Amino acid sequence: MNYIPVNEQDRKEMLDRIGVKSIEELLALQIPESLRAKKLNLPEGLSEQELSALFKNYAGKNKSNLVCFRGAGVYDHFVPSLVDEITGRSEFSTAYTPYQAEASQGTLQAIFEYQSMICELTGLDCANASMYDGATAVAEAVLLAVRTSRKNKIIISSGVNPEYLSVVETYTKNLDVEIIKIKIDEKTGALDKNVLQSMLSDDIGAVVVQSPNFFGVVEDMLSLSETAKNKNALFVTIVNPASLGILKTPCEYNADIAAGEGQVFGNRMHLGGSTFGFLAVKKALEWKIPGRVVGQTVDKNGKRGFVLTLQSREQHIRREKATSNICTNAALNAFAGCVYMACLGSSGIKELAETNISKARYAFNAIKKLEGFEPLFANSLFFNEFVFKTVKNVKKIEKALLKENILGPLNLGAFDKKYKNCLMFAVTEKRTKQEIDKLTDILNRA
Amino acid sequence: MNKLINEIRSNRNTDRVIKCDVPLDIEMDVRYKGQKSTNIPNLSENTLLRHFTNLSRRNYALSTTFYPLGSCTMKYNPVVNEKIAAFEEFSSVHPYQSEETVQGSLEIMYELEKSLCEVSGMDNFTLQPAAGAHGEYAGLLIIAGYFKSIKEKRTKIIVPDSAHGTNPASAALAGFEIISLKSDENGIVSPENLKAVLTKDVACMMMTVPNTLGVFEKNIAEISEILHQNGSLLYYDGANLNAVMGIVKPADIGFDVMHINLHKTFATPHGGGGPGAGPVGVKAFLKDFLPVPVIVKENNKFKISFGDKKKSIGKMKAFFGNFPVLLKACAYIKALGGAGLKEASEQAVLNANYVLSSLKDKVSIPAGSVCMHEFVLSSKGHLGDGVKTLDVAKKLLDYGYYAPTIYFPLIVEEAMMIEPTETESKQVLDEFTDVLLKIIEESVSNPEILHNAPVNTYVSRLNEVEAARKPKLHW
Ligand SMILES: Cc1ncc(COP(=O)(O)O)c(C=O)c1O
Repeated sequence: MNYIPVNEQDRKEMLDRIGVKSIEELLALQIPESLRAKKLNLPEGLSEQELSALFKNYAGKNKSNLVCFRGAGVYDHFVPSLVDEITGRSEFSTAYTPYQAEASQGTLQAIFEYQSMICELTGLDCANASMYDGATAVAEAVLLAVRTSRKNKIIISSGVNPEYLSVVETYTKNLDVEIIKIKIDEKTGALDKNVLQSMLSDDIGAVVVQSPNFFGVVEDMLSLSETAKNKNALFVTIVNPASLGILKTPCEYNADIAAGEGQVFGNRMHLGGSTFGFLAVKKALEWKIPGRVVGQTVDKNGKRGFVLTLQSREQHIRREKATSNICTNAALNAFAGCVYMACLGSSGIKELAETNISKARYAFNAIKKLEGFEPLFANSLFFNEFVFKTVKNVKKIEKALLKENILGPLNLGAFDKKYKNCLMFAVTEKRTKQEIDKLTDILNRA
Repeated sequence: MNKLINEIRSNRNTDRVIKCDVPLDIEMDVRYKGQKSTNIPNLSENTLLRHFTNLSRRNYALSTTFYPLGSCTMKYNPVVNEKIAAFEEFSSVHPYQSEETVQGSLEIMYELEKSLCEVSGMDNFTLQPAAGAHGEYAGLLIIAGYFKSIKEKRTKIIVPDSAHGTNPASAALAGFEIISLKSDENGIVSPENLKAVLTKDVACMMMTVPNTLGVFEKNIAEISEILHQNGSLLYYDGANLNAVMGIVKPADIGFDVMHINLHKTFATPHGGGGPGAGPVGVKAFLKDFLPVPVIVKENNKFKISFGDKKKSIGKMKAFFGNFPVLLKACAYIKALGGAGLKEASEQAVLNANYVLSSLKDKVSIPAGSVCMHEFVLSSKGHLGDGVKTLDVAKKLLDYGYYAPTIYFPLIVEEAMMIEPTETESKQVLDEFTDVLLKIIEESVSNPEILHNAPVNTYVSRLNEVEAARKPKLHW
């Protein structure tokens, strides 16, 4: 298949107009012969029918549509039909970044609404148009904190998702930035503010905390933020937006920057990407935020419209002095997030959080009753994810569940020997009581 | 009327999206419990469908109009690829599923990597970076890692002044100092100018080939020689790969590291700003520095390998990359095949030259009268009193076209960069050219209508200065 709408006759007329005999001649005018490539060693092209069949075949090699109790950063939430209907519209999906504002009001208003809803959700004043994903949003948040505080030491919780920690490490390794990890308490799975207190000094630029953290534990953000602020450090929070319908929001504990993964809002798991990262800041930081930002303005006739704004922060103007190198972001994924939030509305966002926590507690209580399963952080508050330590054979459990088309909990031991035999369960609103009961039953018998 | 969502009154009754089938259990300590509620109205599906559908009608998109946005390769995005990417077998898999359960997805990534190697001549690719700029950043970290491993202190990167803004921005982020290299009078890098700035502490030079003027850097072999003699490496910004598939392989002409924008050359839709994908290819000596994990094939099974972590630059983003984008690019390559890819590039070059041939006597073409897949014109001196390239761009919108890239590259005054791509017909190109010439004439005969453009769009000319002076960034 090829998608070229030019036939031989057209081609000949075009060559004539240009005044060359062939395309080859055009190329030879510009490219030295010695640099030309040999024929590409790739198979012949396929028809649409063959292509569909080939990918159906690949698709059949995945074990998919499992009943998912796995999370660790990517979650199986329900996606309302409206999200696909809207984001699938080619008027949105096949546009470029809205450089020509007057011809891009659809995308621009959509991003403005997205930014507004992220501000509503976090309580902060300015959100950018999106980052590539949660991990890169966190890394950019760290760099933003360094720029803003003009201090190059950043304390980051070891309870932050390890994928995010790796990306932060990658992003800072060649810069003059020191990342200092603060351990979570082994008993509670949460940070201890006294430990934080002891690590703080005047040269710390920011404290970065994730809540719920990687292990699902909700941190005491009020005290941690206060502790950080007492030493003039910025407070950077990584939040799961699905939890904000019930947990304290970043503005309620005076965070300066909020970042996180938006996949939970309207984006499918898709092997972990594409998703979108969100980044929101207090007003004072708006000129320092990385990435695209949409603002409201008026046209010549006073009519409201939207444009890309604060552009003098960006790479196409500031080049090496830009606040980031990001150009293409994750606009359509963020737009899915926007449509999702609109579908739920305020009360739906609250219901979502309440349903997640209720179902997770239901599952937690059921598993706790089983022989051979001990909660790792028995007395800590969790949202929709929690860890159990088991004496049973972890591999066998995984197999038994998979046999019943259940994607079981994540085996944390595979990441860190310290967590041998620890299983992390995620329970979203999508899991039914029946599915949870079946999970418990299989765990019991395994 | 143009309402924002928050201006629509809540009107939803009981049509819940979700339902809780276990007892509600939400008690928690006030220390944790949020007190603030969000101000997002509860709207019925019908209301929202209408709201967003109406927004979509205020967009020009590739599916509605010619989109000659230079440097962005706005070629047709095959609809079959969208259908395939949405298969539940792909969309419902979790990134931490065991490799035996995601063999199909891994195979697609593996196949894509091999194809990209063949097109570029590179030995290995990472598919992790999420966009071109992200790929640049990864590539430069790889270069930094390499020099560290051979214990050479190289702190500078040369970037031609015609380069995209992401090049110097990525170099800065990777911890380098930037040397800006002036292009010569033909808009290309001259070996002499390069020698004049080249020092022992230069880690690499970043080049776009063809460059952002649409010109093939004909001295590239000599440039490569000079840099490599100096122990420096050569980075290829693949934004313009659409000009040279099957024609030139970046690895063969001296490049050591490169990224490819799958959302340009390999026909994945841009989504109004993303997601994209910026796979990074390297020659074999840099393989160990690639991000982890990588996909390998052993005994006909696909494995997720963390390889030799010691040298790897680490992770650029969570998990594997933007999978649906990777899948669509893979499908595109399978559909076209080797010959089809070459034909695509050839037609892209022909289409650009065809448009150029109709315009070259009416405007200035700083880089001369042939081009690769795109060209840059300067409207300076060709427009009526006080009319700017910006006005021409806005007037094009009135005729139903998206505007070309304007004011880039920075080295051309009043620049307009036109990239037709291979998926446009002769008729579309003819009509567009006629309109552009008509607008240029109108700029002289009736400059006011250009100043007032656009008038046919949903809003007229927007006040960007005011937007930045008093930022209003949310409702
Ligand atoms: C020449 C060039 N380099 C780099 C980039 C950056 O790519 P991306 O937007 O995918 O990050 C672009 C994109 O516009 C480009 O045109």
